[in-house]
Formats: sequence, structure tokens, C-alpha cells
Amino acid sequence: MSLNMDRENTAFTFKGGMLPMTVMELSSADPEEIRAQLVSKISQSPAFFQHTPVVLSVEKLDEPHLALERLCAVCRAHKLLPVAVRGGADGVKQSAWALGLGWFPPTEERARTVESVPAVVPAEPAVDIAVPGGGRVYRGTVRSGQQVSAPDGDLVVVGAVNAGAEILAAGSIHVYGPLRGRALAGIHGDTDVGVFCNELNAELLSISGNYKRLEDIDPALLGRAIQVYLNNDHLYIEAL
Amino acid sequence: MAKIIVVTSGKGGVGKTTSAAAIATGLALRGNKTIVIDFDVGLRNLDLIMGCERRVVYDLVNVIQGEATLNQATIRDKRTENLYILPASQTRDKDALTPEGVERILSELKEEFDFIICDSPAGIERGAQLAMYYADEAIVVTNPEVSSVRDSDRILGLLSSKTRRAEQGNDPVREHLLITRYNPERVDHGDMLNLDDITEILSIKLIGLIPESEAVLRASNQGVPVTHDNSSDAGQAYADTVSRLLGEEVTLRFHQAQKKGFLSRIFGGRR
Repeated sequence: MSLNMDRENTAFTFKGGMLPMTVMELSSADPEEIRAQLVSKISQSPAFFQHTPVVLSVEKLDEPHLALERLCAVCRAHKLLPVAVRGGADGVKQSAWALGLGWFPPTEERARTVESVPAVVPAEPAVDIAVPGGGRVYRGTVRSGQQVSAPDGDLVVVGAVNAGAEILAAGSIHVYGPLRGRALAGIHGDTDVGVFCNELNAELLSISGNYKRLEDIDPALLGRAIQVYLNNDHLYIEAL
Repeated sequence: MAKIIVVTSGKGGVGKTTSAAAIATGLALRGNKTIVIDFDVGLRNLDLIMGCERRVVYDLVNVIQGEATLNQATIRDKRTENLYILPASQTRDKDALTPEGVERILSELKEEFDFIICDSPAGIERGAQLAMYYADEAIVVTNPEVSSVRDSDRILGLLSSKTRRAEQGNDPVREHLLITRYNPERVDHGDMLNLDDITEILSIKLIGLIPESEAVLRASNQGVPVTHDNSSDAGQAYADTVSRLLGEEVTLRFHQAQKKGFLSRIFGGRR
């Protein structure tokens, strides 16, 4: 009763959020060309195409008139959900709005607008070092509910990754400690990467969208030092 | 200046309020002026455990909203000198707590007390986050079971990111692990996680281990914190915990199964 009364005036609240978002950088405006390449991508990593929201970036295109509606149709047909468009001329902005999509200014302009807002930097007591080449070294325990990612390179965790935690990397993942959470390597589709850990108890292991759940892992490998690699779209786990 | 210690866990029913009451009592018995604050607005329990439920007039929310002063709302414990209780409101919900209000109360109390114990509600929402936000130290209460350990892990993550110390880049909140409801026999049978597994997963320092004990339930129902029952194993274990909190070295007890004698094995004597 009192709950209803207190909540009466707040049907919703606005909250800021930083969500991971896939950007589809277009270097061609031809829907047929895009369709053909999407088909081959899907066969590589089917797990990725599950109504994944994408931002269509047309920054690198120099086309004032874009067949935006057809582009969106092609994406939807392949289980990608366009949610917004980034960059492009005014005409592109107008047609994005007409299609019910959001519009973001191009990257450079955005960087400038973001700078004027005072940045809130969350303190990280665990030591976290960016290494050359886009990789990342994380020292400390990755706890349940935490997510640590290296979106441009390898991720090295010196410590434990606990159940309910998630670590992601564009490259390989190395855990010098027990791996009990979820580890996803090659998140941008790189297949030549691996997952390495001192003690395997992972909830999920994935390379480039090919995954194994804890249930699928040979119990004989649990608790051991292992490596995970991909060969012909098959995920292999091997003791080290 | 007082030390602010939050007693938290993520999971409900693991013994946060019991532990907050027992530790606050232990600190007061050792001569420290201590106040224990119930942050569980809407589901207040601390007053029952402390046995002062009949003396509640004003509560935390009244003070935050300026309807009462701190002096009017704090209740002096009848059994223990130096011990005070600030009860939660039962008729409101956790949205009534504001960060500014909590900060004002804590800074006022800091002048007067040696220890401020914040009894956090379960969960990771507003009430729990406000209870931990201003903390200097945290006691993470964990039962020897997987779900409790995972929730404690989650809380430890929040302690290192969603507290004032973390946000301002000060020294991190000092984290202590308190294992409650530990039953060495059941651990030996494999029904419960053992001490080493828990400390290995959570990788923080153990400050106490409270055995599963009938004394705890009895104490709760009588409204007398179990620390007063110094003949009981749980009461002694909480006293040890308080000593460690005060920086003393105390050997760990109650973590190994007692060898049962011949007679009790035959008659299955109850502990």
C-alpha cells in the first residue's frame, strides 16, 4: 500500500548506462554486397547473430543518399537489429529518424562533446594496466558480477576469476589462477586466439562465438591447467 | 573519531543482524562506546534481537527527514553500558533513505562514538549500498554454502567500487570474512563447504568463525545478543571475533569436529 503511494509519481527513472554495442562499420553502401558478406560471417560465428543490436556506422562512406531502409532489412534478415546510425550527412540523419532509429554524430565530434562533461572515473582498487598493443593486465580477484574486458587485445588476469564473473578479450585470455567464471576470447571473431588458465572450473569457455558450458567439459580436465583453442570451428580443451 | 563498520552479505538469512548485534555488544563490553544502526528499513529486526522493541519511538527515517533528533531516536541498551541502538522504520521502504541524510547522521555520530556498526539489509539495492557507502571496514557474513559464497563475492566487488572510499580513491574498505553457521561434522561429511574452500574463493582475511549453535536461536528469540552467553560456543566465538577486530591475535576455535565419546556415540547426544 505504502509502496504504491510512494511510487505513484515515478513511473520510470532515467539512468545513464554504458552498454557494450557492436558497431557495423560500412565500407560499402551496396545492400547486396553486404548481404553476401553477412552470410559468410554467420557461418563463422552463428552465436553472434542472435538479434544482436548494432549501430550502423556510415562514417567511412561518402554517399549522401543511402538506401538505409534496404540496409536495415538486410541486417534484420540476418538477425542483426539496427538500433542507430552513426555519422553521415543530414539526409542520413533524417532518414534514420524516419525509420525510428537513433542517430549519433561521427566519432570525432562525439569525442569533443563528451570531453566537456566532467568525467566520473570509477576507482579500481585492483591494479589494472593497459599494455601496448591494446592488451590489458588485471591483478586481483575478478568477483561475481564484475566484467573485465580487453576489447582490443589480450587479457591477462593475475588472480582468480570467480563464479558469476565474466572476462572478455578480442585476443587471447590468460588467467594465472583459478578460472571459475565465464571467459570469452576472440569476441570480434578472431579464431586464432586461445584461453589459458591454471585451474579450470569455468562456467563457460568461448572462442569467437564457439562455446562450451561447464557441463560439456570433460570432468577429467576440471581443476587442471589447460588451454583452449579452436580448430575447424571446433573448440578443444587440452591439459597443459 | 568513530570507525564505521558495515555488516553485510548479499544473501539474506545468513546472520547479519545476529552478528551485528553480537559484535556491537562485544565491542561495548570491552569499553568502546558503540552504536548499531539498522539499515533494513521496512523489515526491521535489530530491535528484536537487541530486545528493545518495546522502547522504539523514533527511527532512522524520522531522523533523516528531520522529524526527530538523533538523541530522541537512539536507544540506550539496558544490559550493556556504552551500547546504543538506532532502529529502522518498519512502515517505510528503503527509498526513504537518502545519501545526504545518512552522511549527516554518520558524521554526527562519529564525533561521539568509537564504533558505528551498520547492519545492512540483504540484497545489493539502495538500502545495502547506502549501508556500505560510508564504511571504513566491512564484515562480510557468509554461510558455508555455495550461494552464500557467491553473493558474498558479489558484495566484495561492490565494496571495492561502490563505496565512498573507492569513489574518492582513498584507502580501500578493509574487508573481513565472518563465517557463520559452521558445522564441522557436516563439513566432514561433505554437506557444507569447508573453511579453506571459502577463504580460497573469497580471498579475504578471516575474522571469525561462528559454529552452528542452538544458543544463537535462543538468544535471538530472547532478545539477548549471544555475546552475553559466554558459556556457549557461539558466544565465545563472537567474543574472539571482537578481539580480532580490535587487533588482537586469537587462535581459531570451533572449526574442527569434536571427537565424540563412546557414550555419546551410542546415545547420539545432542550438542
